[in-house]
Parts: sequence; C-alpha cells; structure tokens
Amino acid sequence: MKNLVNFFHQVGKLKEMPRRGWVINDIKNGESIAEHIFRTTLMAWILGNEKKGLNIERILKMALIHDLCEIYAGDATPYDSILPKNGKKRKETMKTWPRFTNAQKLKISRGKYEKEEKGLNKLIEDLPAGIKKEIKNLWLDFEKGLTPEGRFFKQTDKLENFLQALEYWKKYKKPPQGPWWEWAREFFDDPYMLEFIEEMSKEFHKKLKPRI
Amino acid sequence: MDGKVFYVTKEKLQELKKEYEGLVVFERNKTIGQEAPKPFESEDINPEFISFQEDMIFLKLRIEELKNILENYELIKNPPKEKQIFVNLGAKVKIEVSGKKDEFMIVGTLEANPTLGKISNESPVGKALLGHKVGDEIIVSSLMKKTYKIKSIKYEVS
Repeated sequence: MKNLVNFFHQVGKLKEMPRRGWVINDIKNGESIAEHIFRTTLMAWILGNEKKGLNIERILKMALIHDLCEIYAGDATPYDSILPKNGKKRKETMKTWPRFTNAQKLKISRGKYEKEEKGLNKLIEDLPAGIKKEIKNLWLDFEKGLTPEGRFFKQTDKLENFLQALEYWKKYKKPPQGPWWEWAREFFDDPYMLEFIEEMSKEFHKKLKPRI
Repeated sequence: MDGKVFYVTKEKLQELKKEYEGLVVFERNKTIGQEAPKPFESEDINPEFISFQEDMIFLKLRIEELKNILENYELIKNPPKEKQIFVNLGAKVKIEVSGKKDEFMIVGTLEANPTLGKISNESPVGKALLGHKVGDEIIVSSLMKKTYKIKSIKYEVS
C-alpha cells in the first residue's frame, strides 16, 4: 500500500507543474500539466467516440498516463535547444517555428524519449507488476503509435495543446499564431482532427486578425 | 477495420513482418505454456517485446493491428525516372519556408513522424507538396498563409 500512496503523491505534483510552452511565452498563471491531462482525456473520450471503431477505454487510460513521465523528466518544448535567455530575443524566436536538420531532429527526439522513458520507469518502479506493465505499454503505444488508439491519441494530445494556444492568443495576444498554424499543417493528418481544426479556426479567428 | 490502405516503405514492411511473425510464435508458445523463442527474449532485438510479455491483451491487439496492416498495405516504390522530378510518396524534399530550410520525407500515415521530418501524405502540407517539382512555390493554409518553396527532390527508397 505504501508504494501506491507514494505513486499518487508523486502524480499530484503535476497539479502544480506549469506547462513549459506557456512559461517561455510569458503567459501568467498558465495551465498545469494536470490541467492539460484533464481536458485531453475529455477530448480523447468524446472525439474518439465520434470517430468510431476505437477502443475508448484504452484511449482514456493512455490519456491519463501520457504525461506522467514529466514528473521526473520535466516538460519539453520544440524550442528548448535554441531558446535565448534574453527576453527580447526569446520573443523573436517564438515568432517562427523552429527548423532543424534531420540529424538534429533525431538527436532531439532520442534525447527526449530516453529522458521520458527513464522518468516513467522511475515513477512506476514500485507499482504492482500488472499495472506497471499496462502503464508502460500504453505509454509505448502513445509514443510510437503502435495501434490506431495510439496514433489517434497522439493527435488528440496536440489538438488540446493547439486549442489552449488559441485560447491564450485570444486572451493575451500570445503565443504568436504563425508557428502554431505552420506546425499544425505538417503534424495533423487525421481527417476528423483536421475538420476540428477548421472549426477552431472559425471560432477563434472570426473577428480578430491573427498577428504573427 | 476500416479498409484503409497503408502506404509503407520496404524497410518498414520488413520491420512489421518480422515483428508480426515473432509475436505470433510467441503467442502460440505462450498459449501452450512454452517459453518465448530465444531470439525474441533479447531486449536488444525488440525493446518493446519485453513489455508485451504477459500482457496478453496488448499482445493480441498488436498482432491484430499488424495483421490488418499486412493485409492492406501498398509498397512505396521509386517512381519511374521521368517522374522523379515530381514529389510523390517516398520523396525526400528540401524546402524553404518562412526563410528557413527544412527537409521532409513524404510517407504514409503509419510512418508519419513530423518530429523526425517524416510528413504524412494525408497532412495538408504533405498533400499540397505532392505532384510539384523543384522551384515550385506552394501556398498552404487558408488562414495563415505559408509558402513552401521546393529546393530539391530525391528518391532513395530501396
């Protein structure tokens, strides 16, 4: 029982861990990782249900565990390796989507994966064997897109992130919208997600002109 | 399953076939109470395999998914020489966007991994690049217009 108390205690830390993407964009009181998990789970359930043919229970569990590794690994952003310390320069950097060579992409991706896997292993180390394996498998599926559920949820996770970016932009005029749209057109390929994005675009850009 | 066609590279197909065959043998042996065959006990060969062990639900799901892919795939091949001036599936495309250079490989949805530069042919950018040649400038997105200029196209699919 002690191991379970400790596990839930550690997980609770996500309620106070801010999402780094908003911190580097100077969003005050930005959402926590736990808050992101909450809405992502809800979106995964409802959107997954709409899409049909997916195992919703599997998706919901995946949604709940997908960022647990960040308790120890921390939250990473695509800007981390190029982020200037100077505030003005940082603002400039945030105006464009970061581009890397394929070798750099591989290095960044491997580094993130290894750090996060290590973080997850540490967190679930003392859990009962069955649940430990289930969490690890769900995370691997999310990371590698091994099943239709894994591939669908990977896009749902980013969709929630995108929606939050639009909400902050509407409220604070940041983060800059250009990089988000540039990235989204390369990242999403699920027709249902793309339709959802078009609706988000209509909702958030109906009156306001986006500023890059 | 939804009858979707999976476009895969030869490399990916071999990887999927090897995994499918290994998992089927493992599942069969597991059912009759035998241990996993030697090559699949090694974490070096398949790091995920260790995690599949004893999780029969996930094992069955993965086998079912692999079977569906292997029954509904289409191999990504190099187009004939005269058509290699155009972007198609399997093309490695160097582009310039917002003054920055990048490199994509156009792949099917199964292999897509934008973090590694593998862009799905079903994504708006992947779709828009298809059929274009070096020097073309393609505008993507209706709301935030981005221009992708094609700098080079290469095919290295074996």
